[in-house]
Amino acid sequence: MKNAKVVIKHLFLLFLAAIWLVPILWLVVTAFSAYKGINISHFFPEEWSLDNFRQVLVEPDSVVQFGVWFKNTLIIAIFTCIISTLFVVMVSYAMSCMRFKGRKQIMNFAVILNMFPGPLLMIAIYFVMKSIGLTNSHIGMIIVYSAGSGLGYLIVKGFMDTMPVSLREAAKLEGASEAKIFVSVIIPLCKPIIVYQIISSFLVPWGDFVFAKLMLNSGNAKDWTVAIGLYNMLNKTLINRYFAVFCAGGLLVSIPIAILFVIMQKYYVAGITGGSVKG
Amino acid sequence: MGKDVKQMTSGTKERPAIIKFFTDFFDAIVKGDLAVKLSLVFMGAGYFARKQIIKGIIMMITEVVFILTCIVFAAPNLAKFGTLGTVQYEQIFDPLTMQTTVDDYDNSFMILLYSVIAIFFIFVFVLLYIHNMKEVYRLQLLSEQGKHVNTFREDIKDMFGKKFHITLLTLPTLGVVLMNILPIMVLVFVAFTNYDQNHMPPNALFTWVGLKNFKSLFSNSMTSTFSYSFGKVLGWTIIWAVFATFTTFIGGILLAMLINNKTTKWPKMWRTLFIIAIAVPQFVTLLLVRNFFADSGIVNTICSNIGLTGFLKNIGLVSGEYIPFLTSPGWAKVMIIIINIWVGVPYQMLIATGVLMNIPTDQIESARIDGANKFQIFGHITMPYILFIQGPALITDFVKNINNFNVIYLLTQDMYFTNDQLLANSHAKEVDLLVTWLFRLTNEYYNYKMASVIGIIVFIICAAFTIISFSKLIKGDREEAYQ
Amino acid sequence: MKKKLLSVLLCGAMVAGCLTGCGSKSEANTEAPAADEAAEEAADTTDDAAADTEEEAPAADTASAVDNLIANTSGTVTLRVWAGEEDQEVTQTLIDGFKEKYPEVTFDITVGVESESTAKDTILTDVEAAADVFTIADDQVNDLVNAGALQEVSATYTFDVKSENSEGSIAAASIGDKLYAYPMTADNGYFMFYDASVFSEEDVASLDTMIEKAKAANKKIGFQAPSGWYLESFFGAAGCTCVLNQETGVNECDWNSANGVAAAQALSDYFATGVFVNMQDAEMATGITDGSVCAAVNGVWNAQTAADAWGENYRAAKLPTVKIGGEDKQLRSVIGCKLIGVNPHSQFVGWAMLLAEHLTNIESQVYRFEQRGYGPSNIAAASTDEVLANPAVAALAAQSQFGNLQRVGANFWSPTETLGSVLAESPSADEIQGILDTAVEGITAPVEESAE
Repeated sequence: MKNAKVVIKHLFLLFLAAIWLVPILWLVVTAFSAYKGINISHFFPEEWSLDNFRQVLVEPDSVVQFGVWFKNTLIIAIFTCIISTLFVVMVSYAMSCMRFKGRKQIMNFAVILNMFPGPLLMIAIYFVMKSIGLTNSHIGMIIVYSAGSGLGYLIVKGFMDTMPVSLREAAKLEGASEAKIFVSVIIPLCKPIIVYQIISSFLVPWGDFVFAKLMLNSGNAKDWTVAIGLYNMLNKTLINRYFAVFCAGGLLVSIPIAILFVIMQKYYVAGITGGSVKG
Repeated sequence: MGKDVKQMTSGTKERPAIIKFFTDFFDAIVKGDLAVKLSLVFMGAGYFARKQIIKGIIMMITEVVFILTCIVFAAPNLAKFGTLGTVQYEQIFDPLTMQTTVDDYDNSFMILLYSVIAIFFIFVFVLLYIHNMKEVYRLQLLSEQGKHVNTFREDIKDMFGKKFHITLLTLPTLGVVLMNILPIMVLVFVAFTNYDQNHMPPNALFTWVGLKNFKSLFSNSMTSTFSYSFGKVLGWTIIWAVFATFTTFIGGILLAMLINNKTTKWPKMWRTLFIIAIAVPQFVTLLLVRNFFADSGIVNTICSNIGLTGFLKNIGLVSGEYIPFLTSPGWAKVMIIIINIWVGVPYQMLIATGVLMNIPTDQIESARIDGANKFQIFGHITMPYILFIQGPALITDFVKNINNFNVIYLLTQDMYFTNDQLLANSHAKEVDLLVTWLFRLTNEYYNYKMASVIGIIVFIICAAFTIISFSKLIKGDREEAYQ
Repeated sequence: MKKKLLSVLLCGAMVAGCLTGCGSKSEANTEAPAADEAAEEAADTTDDAAADTEEEAPAADTASAVDNLIANTSGTVTLRVWAGEEDQEVTQTLIDGFKEKYPEVTFDITVGVESESTAKDTILTDVEAAADVFTIADDQVNDLVNAGALQEVSATYTFDVKSENSEGSIAAASIGDKLYAYPMTADNGYFMFYDASVFSEEDVASLDTMIEKAKAANKKIGFQAPSGWYLESFFGAAGCTCVLNQETGVNECDWNSANGVAAAQALSDYFATGVFVNMQDAEMATGITDGSVCAAVNGVWNAQTAADAWGENYRAAKLPTVKIGGEDKQLRSVIGCKLIGVNPHSQFVGWAMLLAEHLTNIESQVYRFEQRGYGPSNIAAASTDEVLANPAVAALAAQSQFGNLQRVGANFWSPTETLGSVLAESPSADEIQGILDTAVEGITAPVEESAE
């Protein structure tokens, strides 16, 4: 009886996992398809081929310049991730561990600021960036992705809130300054949540294409990020010849991210839980 | 500023912060000595008098920079702020020299943007100016009482000590000003102008129209169906936000419980399988899924091969030869929510896993000893605990879903055509959220004025919702509960 | 300070401009602008200039203007060009030719990707950041001109754009009688391609016959309904019009007239057959590939897919006739052209215009046809044997006499998209009038509510 229940449970999990993986499987098999368009009659391609990957990796044409895009996105992502993480950790420490005049008001104000619909702000941000000459530049993209990140401090702050005050008090008695406490006491203890923050900010440039398309508007495909490039392949004039290539590109982007996720799973869970205590 | 100093400077203690901010300022002017009074004109004067030379120089430079900026940048733009420019763009091409000449035209949007920057800049300077007066007066009091006046080096040290928060917050605040505050201010102003397709800078000017745009959103005139569309879109936005938030939340918890159950084998492997689904960037999966469920897509082929389409046709759920997964209003709405479950549940599962690991086991044990069954334990212990922990996150998720642009846009853009002519007349669709609608209005129809109005309303809805639910959910201050 | 200087310059230029530029606008395309002082200055270089340009120079004065420009250009001329994704290499080759044409000048010309169909959105977001020379579809001319994003072609230098290109393409590139862009191809309209194993040449003359044959073969005919652009075929056939009133900025549309109702009814009846099916571009392409679609109303962008799938059975033809209100009517098409526009905000408008001319002259159009199979808008280029032998281009030419120019404002698109989508579901006959009335109300809505 008990055993049957367990078996059923595992079968059910297997079923769920299958549902979750079917589209991913379709991505994978289409990436290996010899037919370039969308195959609507068979799930699995009739003919297998590595040609899509060859096109993505070794043979850049005007539509597919995956290598350059990957490099651009990687650079943007690395810097975004560094700046965002720094900003978030800095703000969190100030809000969580320090007490100063106006702290509550600033926190409330930050919550409210977060609620303005993002897509509307893009056009204004575009012109702000244009007036300082940073459109069509990767520095501009880094600023766009990371400058406002301080507002997303809540989860990290929540995590810091769970740190015992006595730790900081002890350090203070030994004569450590706030800066010292921040760097050598709090940051090491926040490792899980910092890892969480690093992963989530690293992922931003890989997934955004609306903002990127607006900011990188010179039409020069060499400036693009992976997201713009892949999205462009689904243009109505291109989709029938590039859908499989799109899948191959999407798959290639996913592999490093998936590895990152699987390795960081532990930190992710630990970090996000600690943080979400306070939300 | 230490507490003792503040009490010295103001007679009464219980004044609201804003009023106190100004009364302190006037106190400083009235009671200050010559150097302090001189600081009204030369901001550094008070510092020089207390031998804080470097600070004094910094203040003087700040003042000079401010005045120069006002003359060169702020004044010319603010002068045009009332009209948003009057000189129309004129361009003349000379066919002989093949050169063009352009007049000294006004660009309304740039005037608006620069004015907002100027207003913000002046506002910050005024705050600094008042603070400066209070600071030099405080220094005066300190030196009168024979107390120690900080050297510059000590001031710097303070920035890493008790004033460390200023050091920490400066750069992030600057970023937020650049990316959020200034753009929001600009767009709030745009809601009161006629910035649309017929008034697009640089070639045309736009100007103030007062509350007209708000009126046209709430009145159903013959030509504009905005208020009808607004009602419809708002309704779906809220339905969507409720469903998207709760389905993924509950789904995540159930999945996490299933995986973390003691009798489940290889929990790590199961978790990894689900994580793989979210490791693929969202836009790739969504664009993929939309082709997956297209009217002539692979799912439809399979459904018609196994006879599902025929079955649904027989019971009247489908009228055509295919299942309109993403093309008919009813199907599309359900599919979007289902696909969102697909996208969101793994994330929520990860979070719930963490929460469940921290659940106090002693309570569960004692409940079990008392004879509670699984469902009772879940309903009375697990769920309340999760809700307590996750409550605030649930609210922020709800707000995020109201503004969830990616899922709706990627699944329906160029795929979904509305059959409601009234919606179409104001460029909306049944499956649009307010954000996707305003994105279409700006991106394809350049109707910035209406988009801004909608944006402001979304903002008000979200803010009201958050304030109400937070005050209900979080009674008292939980911040220090665990410290 | 710079602006001050500019305004002084402008005052001077206004005077000069009114004497020369403005005055000559109307005649500039056929004749050289008459300006005495500049002509005198340039008189001595005229001969060389005429020899330099390979085209027969329309007149000495314009050639001297080019010469002037060369003489006045110092430093690098930086130009950005936008072309469709598939045309990058062709465009690059043509640009290399342009550089060779003016060896005296240092060029820095870069080609960027921006598909003709979406160029408008990118350009209008920020005109100043758009490319100097860009490719657009002709339905965008209106909005672009309104936003001041197209430099008027008030004078031509290396060949006469207006007389060398077909009338339809010139009309498509003009607003009123002012030319705003350089026609590049005349193949952006729609026509029909079909599978000759299902239809004979006589069959494709009438849609009713086609439906019968297709039904017998258990195949479908594809038509993209949710698009005002394709709907024009039926409504245009019924004699309905929808045009933008340039003065008021509002569409004038009589699609809800008795004729319009008949057209809508006809369309709805055809969809009710289940053989004539509403499908999007991508579906059509896949349908053609897997053999379920045997004919489609579409454009050259999908013609290659059809040619590949049907092989020697691939045929292209003008659109068939349909029964509207019991009468046979020839389906209309929208005259579609790809155009090259010049950004008025360009730093080097003169060079941008010369480049646009080069990219659209007869040699370039022939080259584009050879490389990509694009139907030329240039009359001479379009009448060569090779071009006429291309089925798609020939079908377009046959259709062009039943072509309408679609000049509509932005509010046309969303309502018609829905209209097509509704009609594709074959609403009952008594609903049609109401559906059309609401659609027309949306189409004719002003962008801005009139002042109360």
